[in-house]
Amino acid sequence: MVNYSKFVLDNGLRVVIHPDDSTPMVAVNILYNVGARDESPDKTGLAHLFEHLMFGGSENIEDFDDPIQRAGGENNAFTNNDITNFYDIIPAQNLEVALWLESDRMLSLSFDEQVLDVQRKVVIEEFKESCLNQPYGDVWHHIADMAYKVHPYQWPTIGKVPKHVEDATMDDVKDFYRKFYNPNNAILTLAGNVSVEKGRELVEKWFGDIPPGITPTRTLPQEPPQKKLQQRINQAKVPVDALYLAFHSPGRSEADFYVSDLLSDILGNGSSARLYRKLLKEQQIVNQIDCYVTGSMDPGLFIIEARPAEGHTLEEVEKLIWAELELIRNELVSERELQKLKNKIESTLLFSEMSVLNKAMNLAFFELLGDAGIINEEAQMYHRISREEVRDMARKIFTPENCNELYYKVSQATA
Amino acid sequence: MPDRSQAPLIKGIDQLKLPEPQKILLGNGVPMYILSMGRQEVCKLEIVFRAGRPYEHKQLVARATSALLREGTAHYTGRVIAEEMDYHGCSLKTPFNIDVTTITLYVVNKHLDKVLPMLAEVISAPSFPEKELRSFIQRNQQRLQIDLSKSDVLAYRKITELIFGEQHPYGYNSFAETYSLLQQEDLFQHFRRLHTSGNAVVFLSGKVDQDMIRRIDDTLSNAIKEGPTAEPWVPEINAQPQRLNISQKDSLQTAVRIGRRLFNRHHPDYAGGYVLNNLLGGYFGSRLMTNIRERHGYTYNIYSLVDPMVYDGGLYIGTEVSNEAVEDTLRQIHIELDRMRTELVSEEELEMVRNYTMGYLLSLLDGVFSMAEVIKTLYLDGLSVSFIDQLSEVIRNISAEELRELAQRYLRREDLWEVVVGPNV
Repeated sequence: MVNYSKFVLDNGLRVVIHPDDSTPMVAVNILYNVGARDESPDKTGLAHLFEHLMFGGSENIEDFDDPIQRAGGENNAFTNNDITNFYDIIPAQNLEVALWLESDRMLSLSFDEQVLDVQRKVVIEEFKESCLNQPYGDVWHHIADMAYKVHPYQWPTIGKVPKHVEDATMDDVKDFYRKFYNPNNAILTLAGNVSVEKGRELVEKWFGDIPPGITPTRTLPQEPPQKKLQQRINQAKVPVDALYLAFHSPGRSEADFYVSDLLSDILGNGSSARLYRKLLKEQQIVNQIDCYVTGSMDPGLFIIEARPAEGHTLEEVEKLIWAELELIRNELVSERELQKLKNKIESTLLFSEMSVLNKAMNLAFFELLGDAGIINEEAQMYHRISREEVRDMARKIFTPENCNELYYKVSQATA
Repeated sequence: MPDRSQAPLIKGIDQLKLPEPQKILLGNGVPMYILSMGRQEVCKLEIVFRAGRPYEHKQLVARATSALLREGTAHYTGRVIAEEMDYHGCSLKTPFNIDVTTITLYVVNKHLDKVLPMLAEVISAPSFPEKELRSFIQRNQQRLQIDLSKSDVLAYRKITELIFGEQHPYGYNSFAETYSLLQQEDLFQHFRRLHTSGNAVVFLSGKVDQDMIRRIDDTLSNAIKEGPTAEPWVPEINAQPQRLNISQKDSLQTAVRIGRRLFNRHHPDYAGGYVLNNLLGGYFGSRLMTNIRERHGYTYNIYSLVDPMVYDGGLYIGTEVSNEAVEDTLRQIHIELDRMRTELVSEEELEMVRNYTMGYLLSLLDGVFSMAEVIKTLYLDGLSVSFIDQLSEVIRNISAEELRELAQRYLRREDLWEVVVGPNV
């Protein structure tokens, strides 16, 4: 059970405080409700580039990292398709330093040409390091491009191409800041060794006078149902072939998201999961197999990825995966198997409550979904799921028409 | 309205407390260290054997033995073990470590009884099925093939091999052939010789009570067989520093590794070296990060790290940089190393690295499992909780002169190995 208190400042900043005196630290998390899905198709990667610029100094602070390190803290951030999330973990006695820093960059970021110039280069190196120079590193570019024809999930957070990042101008980033980096577009959570009263007092002190902006409206084109199987073969300089199947599945805010998540656990989570047992252990036709949902806000993807063992082909592997999918479409999972998954989820949630940073991030994310209190209801949501619902979800998702099939193959030229 | 031009007063961290674990001896004489804290009804049980690479009679056998422990025992198949553990919401892992083999059980307290018998079998009677071994070999050979296509992996493999030697437990690399040579009997021998009371230490942490401790004692006293303490094999090293370029055409970045042998945690300079490394490349505000990433934008990441092992240690600088920037990156790294040896760090920067390092230690001691992790590392290394006091004493008091002296001792250019992997080298 995560106890918390929440309130909204006059400027629209939503605040959630979770006191936990078992730790000497406080985690400060600020979620801005902006991600790669809010970019325009010819300027992708901007949300993520902007995340980098947030460390380049603000009106009263030359360098963000300097004071936080001086205060014994650590900080970082991540961007995904939906959100940009910043966090600091700091000794409780220095909590105010983190709030001073976070509020200053929310109020007034410095826009230094030099910073923009360097961070463009840094992000391009990140693009190479994480995507272009990694075996299978561009797989998300392919999957997103195949699965989404109109929705902006069609490009990955890092950007469609490095050129978009290279071309980002000072005007682009200033507009982005004005539009999205306002208190009324953010959620602040504190979790750790701080009382609700003290936390509230400090938050009001540092964030209370930041003027609100115009609340951005989001009208994204929704992806129409896929009508037929999409297939792609990509040849690249990789050592072994790999298979990716991506099925459209519910988004995070839909009621049956939890069913799809549980379904992915049945098939792919842990060493007793079906696909792992059957294909990797019993038949030994794959060396690696994974299965997960993307968990995005708008309808997401249910991914199955596998690498064939030596002497086996992608076609063979795919056929056996489909046999397992057929099985779960046709036969109810046993009570015991369903109970196993629920027990597993219950313990995962229990263990995740041991980290204040986890709690701070989750509270912010759930508040974005509609209510921080979901953090205490998740176990129940999984618990309520019936065998029939699992089967029905499998029937809904696992059809060829709903599938994007990517064969990632060893390029003949370099093999 | 707050005065934003003034930073709130920063308060130093002078209290770092790592609680002393309770020590008991199990029925078979194996020590068990217990840290009973926390609010959630969960615990972590770790059974550690000094059975890592320094104890191997054949390369990779430690890794293979540890990976196959869960894959079948006298009475249970791997499938049944996986199924039962998952059913009870437990996680049973055998994470790789170069010096030791660890069996880690994370468990919700109410299920402890149900999984202890199976844990006992995993510890006492693994069957190392031939089929599982073949599959382990095949999977790892494929993983290796993928890893070898990455320039950073190539660079790291090469530099550790050069520094420690290609036969040394800390230096040897795995190859497809090393895997092929593994036989089922090697695993049995390794297991029988090393997974015994003379080489075992147990760590228990979380919300545990006397009754749980008693049941764990009963289980492990029977499961861990009696046997003598084994001697490690750690050969002398006398390699001379060298530079090596490896060409990897088509790579979009160049991997750079610079490093040297250093020392383990028992060395009198360990604590000072820890601070020195942070200053150089151990945190975001470090010299290398500030120069190579934040000033020049040559890379997404550059770091230096100290890697202490039980019988030795290393210091490494690592980065993946734009191909066009390799030469200047190397030059800039050496400028930073020169500055460390010749200039005194300013009081301001020193205070920052001190505070950052103290805060980092504080976060390492956050939560019962994190504390247990630190305790495990220290006790396996023959140290005690007072090590943290000594370390924080040095962090708080080390002077600019002492840091420069350490840099002159450990960051001399002629003592550094260098490996560069990229298309234009």
